[in-house]
Amino acid sequence: MRLQRGRMVAGFVSALVACAMPAFAQTTPKDGPIVIRDRVLEGAPPKVMTDEVGRRVQIPTDVKRVVSLAPNLTETIYALGLGKLLVGDTNFCDTPPAAKLQAHIGDPQNPNLEAIVALQPDLVLATTSINRVETADALKQLGFPVYTSDPQTVRGMLDSVEHIAEAMNEKQRGTELVALLQQRLDAVHARLSERPMVHVLFVVWLEPLQSIGQDTFISDALRWAGAESVVVSKQKWPHLSIEEVVRLQPDYIVFTADHSGGASTELADLRARPVWRDLDAVEQGHVVNVSDEIVRPSPGLVDVIEQLAHEVHPEAFAHEYEIRNSKIEMRTAANRLANPATECDLCAR
Amino acid sequence: MNAVAGSGAPLSSSAIIAPRTSGVRLKVEQASYAYAATDRSAPKFTLGPTSFEAQQRELVAILGPNASGKSTLLTLLAGMARPLSGRIEVDGVEVSMLDIRTRAQRIALVQQESELLFPLRVWEYVLQGRYPYGKRLRFESDEDCLLAGNALAQVGADALRDRWMDQLSGGEKQRVILARALAQQPSLLLLDEPTQHLDIGGKVELLRRLRRLADESRYTVLVVTHELNLAAEFSDRIVLLHKGKCLRVGTPAEVYDRALLEEVFEAPLEVEMRANGRPRVILVGNH
Amino acid sequence: MRPLTPRRVAWICAGLGLVLFVVGVISLRMGAYPIAVTDIVKTLFSGAIGRWDDIPSGYRSIVFEIRLPRILLGILVGASLSTAGSGFQALLRNPLADPYVLGVSSGAALGAMISLIAVPHTPGAIQLAAFAGAAATTAAVYFLGRRGGQLDSATLLLAGIVAASFLSAMIMFLITTMSGRDIRGVAFWLMGDLSTALPSNPLPWFEALFFVFVLAAGAIYATSSDLNLILTGEQEARHLGVNVNRVKLVVYIAASVLTGLAVSVSGAIGYVGLLVPHLMRMMFGTDYRLLIPTSAIGGAILVVLADTLARTIVSPTELPVGAMTALAGAPVFIYLMRRRVR
Repeated sequence: MRLQRGRMVAGFVSALVACAMPAFAQTTPKDGPIVIRDRVLEGAPPKVMTDEVGRRVQIPTDVKRVVSLAPNLTETIYALGLGKLLVGDTNFCDTPPAAKLQAHIGDPQNPNLEAIVALQPDLVLATTSINRVETADALKQLGFPVYTSDPQTVRGMLDSVEHIAEAMNEKQRGTELVALLQQRLDAVHARLSERPMVHVLFVVWLEPLQSIGQDTFISDALRWAGAESVVVSKQKWPHLSIEEVVRLQPDYIVFTADHSGGASTELADLRARPVWRDLDAVEQGHVVNVSDEIVRPSPGLVDVIEQLAHEVHPEAFAHEYEIRNSKIEMRTAANRLANPATECDLCAR
Repeated sequence: MNAVAGSGAPLSSSAIIAPRTSGVRLKVEQASYAYAATDRSAPKFTLGPTSFEAQQRELVAILGPNASGKSTLLTLLAGMARPLSGRIEVDGVEVSMLDIRTRAQRIALVQQESELLFPLRVWEYVLQGRYPYGKRLRFESDEDCLLAGNALAQVGADALRDRWMDQLSGGEKQRVILARALAQQPSLLLLDEPTQHLDIGGKVELLRRLRRLADESRYTVLVVTHELNLAAEFSDRIVLLHKGKCLRVGTPAEVYDRALLEEVFEAPLEVEMRANGRPRVILVGNH
Repeated sequence: MRPLTPRRVAWICAGLGLVLFVVGVISLRMGAYPIAVTDIVKTLFSGAIGRWDDIPSGYRSIVFEIRLPRILLGILVGASLSTAGSGFQALLRNPLADPYVLGVSSGAALGAMISLIAVPHTPGAIQLAAFAGAAATTAAVYFLGRRGGQLDSATLLLAGIVAASFLSAMIMFLITTMSGRDIRGVAFWLMGDLSTALPSNPLPWFEALFFVFVLAAGAIYATSSDLNLILTGEQEARHLGVNVNRVKLVVYIAASVLTGLAVSVSGAIGYVGLLVPHLMRMMFGTDYRLLIPTSAIGGAILVVLADTLARTIVSPTELPVGAMTALAGAPVFIYLMRRRVR
């Protein structure tokens, strides 16, 4: 019996030792100068930036080919007017419509490494909000500079836009775009500064009911629109029960465009549901549908913030006559830059 | 007799598997055993000190009703447990001292049929009996195949060679299981209630075969059973057990005493002596 | 009477090995980036003799750093899972056993998740933590699955199922309560993912993995005669001279090591450990001296094939490998089940 136990222990120990061997064999990915494979570096030596997750990235001064691994990054590139540098994006990149015509490299979560290599980019853009660390690691191992953004708030998103522009050697464009966006945000903020925050329930999913936590990007965006999420939770996507909603009695209920129809459909749907139909917000028809840009850290977010602010603070924008249809109207920031005339004519400045 | 298998001398095709030495094959001296109770309600089961001997060419029946200690004795004989007291020797060597492979070369236990998980052919099954010989990861040699074939012939199952195990009848399967045991070339052949699932014709056939194996091939055969008449008809010696105690050892004529049997089997019986010197037990019906 | 000979084993394995080689070459050929077979051969050859400069730029990355490692990993994982599966089927006396039924993969997944939370962005941490989780689960289930000090098939199975359920519940708990971002990677990993980021010097890593595989699979193979006997009944095997308890322990540890290895490297790829041994049994018989090597090679073929399909069928989207093996596995499994009920 003792011999058997001894053998058993020996067996487990050797199994553990065997498992440790790969660890000894493995080394951390190179942190030194990353040579971009087989590319002749012309002119100035590559510049070094630290990306938003703390990695050192070496980017050639002459960036001609960029691959985007997320829809918000693609949108940002186009917003900066740098769409011509984009050589590949994901299957989900749909804004602006031109993005759909780019060469696709797969899903943001599991992109096809070969397709990326085939495009031979000078720079790959990734973001923590949808991409995986493993993808960035793998591309780094293959010798491609990967800049990862990590926007946690709306301001963080604006910073990211500047950094991305800088990474693409177009710092000036970045600064200009951000200034423009900041202006619009400040305008909204000014209108709302006197007013109390409106309490909203942001519905990520109806059944089972799922909302957002208080430290999320979305909750920050909501705040810019003068809305405070009623759900207090440290989790990112907390589940709640309908009882909680009854207790919290939000002023408005906000859906994103993922749900088909528009606010009117949502309203009719909710009016037919037990418990929901007795909520104050539903009885008063305070159900709002916004574009799903609100979950995307990209320049188009500012559109949505404005839209939402109009919806939940109608008195602040009382000069308007146009009853806005709650269906989404998507206009990219690039268009805005190009055509200032189509600026929100409701926020006369 | 032909050359003893395993001696390295070439075997003729009619080689009979001949067990090893002659003389006293099995010696049981005051062997006893006790199971520890696994729960409070089960009684502590013991096998009281038991002694008997068996020679080459003998068929010994271990006789007794249910729960008399027969299986315990068999477990001891097979070397699967060490007796609490006394010794059990096969060919002069204490059984529990043997390593399992050597033991498998000396003692073969034929159990009742078991569930096979995956389909297997008869010859594959019988060939497994050669496992105790050679290395642990082994591929069978020509000699192994020869011996296995002979084992099948000895039980009259030659024709079944290529059949699937799960397609055999009860009697056929038993013969094959026996053949596998024979392929081990044992000195001692142990069988645990082998007649349970057989009809009367099957029972007689099996005992006849065992008798033949003992007489002609010089095995020592031990059969655990509760069949009174089969034991009486075919065995040379009977070990009568009752509630863990060995009551009597001797020839059938010596052991089959009416009062004794009635006490042991708790049924009204009559014992009749036949012409060939073997007793016959008759059940008494309603009075 | 035609018993199994080493020569027959060798021939069959050579044949299967050839199939694996062909599948590997086809897999090297296929992918989003088109490379002709002749170019592949040239690339491999130049790489083998060390003349890296002769290879055109894109090819080197793609062939040596993307495709070839995936294929090698696929071979390793497929072989490990199939061998483990055949071992567990014998150990548990249950033809429906697969490498995950004893909870090893759930333990590995939990380990991986914990490492993602505790030390994100640390290379190699996931693999190590996953393997540690697998080892811990193996030990726990062993202690739970004993009866009278020995491994008992029925008790082991129960203990494994309980462990798997418990660990899955823990994983669910973590997923819902922890930050969404960190855990997302695990969802992928749980379905099986062969595109692990390799360390900068992958060769020693592969060598180490291969070494562990050979050790564990070799240990199981050494018991293959014993397993043949055990499958006709444990008591019968004991009477034939098999040290049943030791064999069971060896198979348990070795099969768990193989499973832990596979899962920690590439997540839980399903159906391989269950199906391949059965397929090989149908083709080549139930003798474990042949079943183990054929299962290993067969598993390698299946995984490489599934992975190739997964990354090319709807290119550039990559399907998870586990999804492909499951999709292919289910109908084959149903067919097998119906055949059994003859």
